[in-house]
Amino acid sequence: MKKIVFLLSSLIFFSAGINAETLRILAEAGDEGTLTRAITQFEAANPGVTVEASYLGWDDFMATIKLKMADNNPPDLAHGNQGFTVDGTLIQNGLVISLEKYANQYGWKDLFAEGALSEFMWSEDGSIWGSGSLYGINPVAEDVIVFYNKSKLNALGLSVPNSFEDFENALAVSKDAGELPIILGGADGWPIIHVWGIIDGAFVDPNHTRGWIFDPKNFEFNTSSRMDAAKKLDDMAADGYFGTDSLGIGYDDANAMFINGEGVFNLTGTWMTAQLDEGMGENVGAFAMPTSGGHSVGGGGSFALPWHISSKASNPDLAAKFLAHLMSNDFVDDLMEVGRVPAQAPTISPTSNLQAEVIASSNALVGANAKTFYTDWATPGMYDVVTQELQKLIGGATSAEEFISAMAAESLN
Amino acid sequence: MSNKNIYRPQSKFLYSSYLYIIPAFVFYILFVLFPLGDTLYTSFTEWNGISEKKWVGLDQYIKNLSDKKITSSIKHSFILIIFYSFLPIIIGLLIAGLMIRVKIRGMTTYRAILFLPQILSMIVVGISWRWIYAPKGPLNSGLDFFGLEDVSRAWLGSFDYSLMAVGLIGTWVMFGFTMILFIAGVQKIPIELYDAAKVDGAGAISEFFNVTLPNLRGEIIVALIFTVTLALRNFDLIYITTGGGPGTSTMIPSMFIYKKAFQMGQVGSASSLGIMLTLMIFTLVSLILITFRERK
Repeated sequence: MKKIVFLLSSLIFFSAGINAETLRILAEAGDEGTLTRAITQFEAANPGVTVEASYLGWDDFMATIKLKMADNNPPDLAHGNQGFTVDGTLIQNGLVISLEKYANQYGWKDLFAEGALSEFMWSEDGSIWGSGSLYGINPVAEDVIVFYNKSKLNALGLSVPNSFEDFENALAVSKDAGELPIILGGADGWPIIHVWGIIDGAFVDPNHTRGWIFDPKNFEFNTSSRMDAAKKLDDMAADGYFGTDSLGIGYDDANAMFINGEGVFNLTGTWMTAQLDEGMGENVGAFAMPTSGGHSVGGGGSFALPWHISSKASNPDLAAKFLAHLMSNDFVDDLMEVGRVPAQAPTISPTSNLQAEVIASSNALVGANAKTFYTDWATPGMYDVVTQELQKLIGGATSAEEFISAMAAESLN
Repeated sequence: MSNKNIYRPQSKFLYSSYLYIIPAFVFYILFVLFPLGDTLYTSFTEWNGISEKKWVGLDQYIKNLSDKKITSSIKHSFILIIFYSFLPIIIGLLIAGLMIRVKIRGMTTYRAILFLPQILSMIVVGISWRWIYAPKGPLNSGLDFFGLEDVSRAWLGSFDYSLMAVGLIGTWVMFGFTMILFIAGVQKIPIELYDAAKVDGAGAISEFFNVTLPNLRGEIIVALIFTVTLALRNFDLIYITTGGGPGTSTMIPSMFIYKKAFQMGQVGSASSLGIMLTLMIFTLVSLILITFRERK
């Protein structure tokens, strides 16, 4: 009997000891490289602390994160996803805590321009998005820009475009020379959202687009400039600028094809930097899409997935301390080294030519206050509607007018 | 003559016999009846998966039925029945019919190869066919080789052909199953019937329709129920190959259930669609049983 009591009490003692010093993280798999590095540093700087991280691929993560956070024993720190579908639900149900206290303690708001963190801001009841308290944070920028094949652009006698009209001209020249102007993995649906974000950004005032995403019921989707963007995308598809097979090609295949020399331009996110760099080296460049008329730049973009602290976290201060490490000035250079694009200015020089151009593009978008997030954030059903409607538009199965009216209808849902 | 040695069931019912089914029954309640009941209840509510369920009565059902995307996805399911059920049954019957007439060396090997798709995981099948149908995949390369460049296309990305392309994968997966089922069925048909047919001067076709087909009634019912059910509840193949696209051209109800429950946080709506799908399958299976039942 004595033995059993001893065993039980030591178990309780040790498990309590472990809990106090263990930080449990659940992350989307894209963050694994970054976190592995951060965890090693954090554990070294905080003796006695163990960080346990587990990862899930995008689909599995998004399908289960709300249930995992609602569990009685949720991770202390986890990714969410911008918008009402994930973040809104987490906040409405009190599953994650406001980070205001920590933001003030660690000075996160001073790192960025006024309003730059709005995608992480919510009202306390989770009903209003885009203002209020800070509920999430992430040190990485993920922007949609234009990657291009340098040797192809040179061979065609073209240079980096200064306006959207320049870009269109480059597409026409590429097509005439028998090149595929834009490689697109349209079978997956979501990559077309990025193409749309760039073209939309070339025509529509970014403030209006952001306003619409935060509050789609009260910001008109159907504006004349947006109709111009939709018609432009329709024309580009009709002119064969995406090739004839784009809806049968997946995102990964499209990028592999681009690396293997297919396509002059690739309209995708800065998260592809490391992979394209490795595959193409000096032969790949990047720029932020110039707007129509060339006065500014435009394109989708945001911070990476928000980090949330669970309201059931046994030690939220420890979780915040880990976030502070991710957000710290010291970690910016680590982000560069693992191929991410830091939202703060780095102190070391870029590790490659592409990284330099990507950071310059990202800075251009930030400088022009032109990041317009992602269209699918607007409503819970928007992801489906926008991917389906864009596939139809690219495939010639719908018109620009029908596309706009379907999007406007979903905005009211 | 006394018949006292013949076993007779005891007139008194033995309640202890229930004990034998308890373990299975408990599992059935826990993992079938309870989730079914819970889904039925959820289907009358509005629920995001976390917060309190809000009772809305039949609202979810009415919304689903008035959603054109959902009704068109049901149409797609019925088209898929042709590919998942009718075609495999026809092919299976043809092969079984041939087997009776033609003796082929190494038939067991062919049978095993033809059955192979049935035992592969749908994920493997889906990924393989994605590659086969790819714009520069083997199918298009083959077509191009024979000078059919006009025919080759991005099959899974085509608004006109993607549903057919996905359907044919189903045919490929299912015909091995129907074939094995029918071959087994044919083997139990008394050889005398064939001999009699031959004596009566029946040719191959007449023999097939007068002897083989009527004697395979039971197997055909099993094949129909199994394949029709699969066609309606199929999810993995579509999820892997097209995700319902392009646009909504290969969208099926089970994709909507997944999207609503796991992407959009509309669990109530997903549940009502699940119940609708269950009822649909139940009705069709009943219709099959009624249509093909043995008339006495």
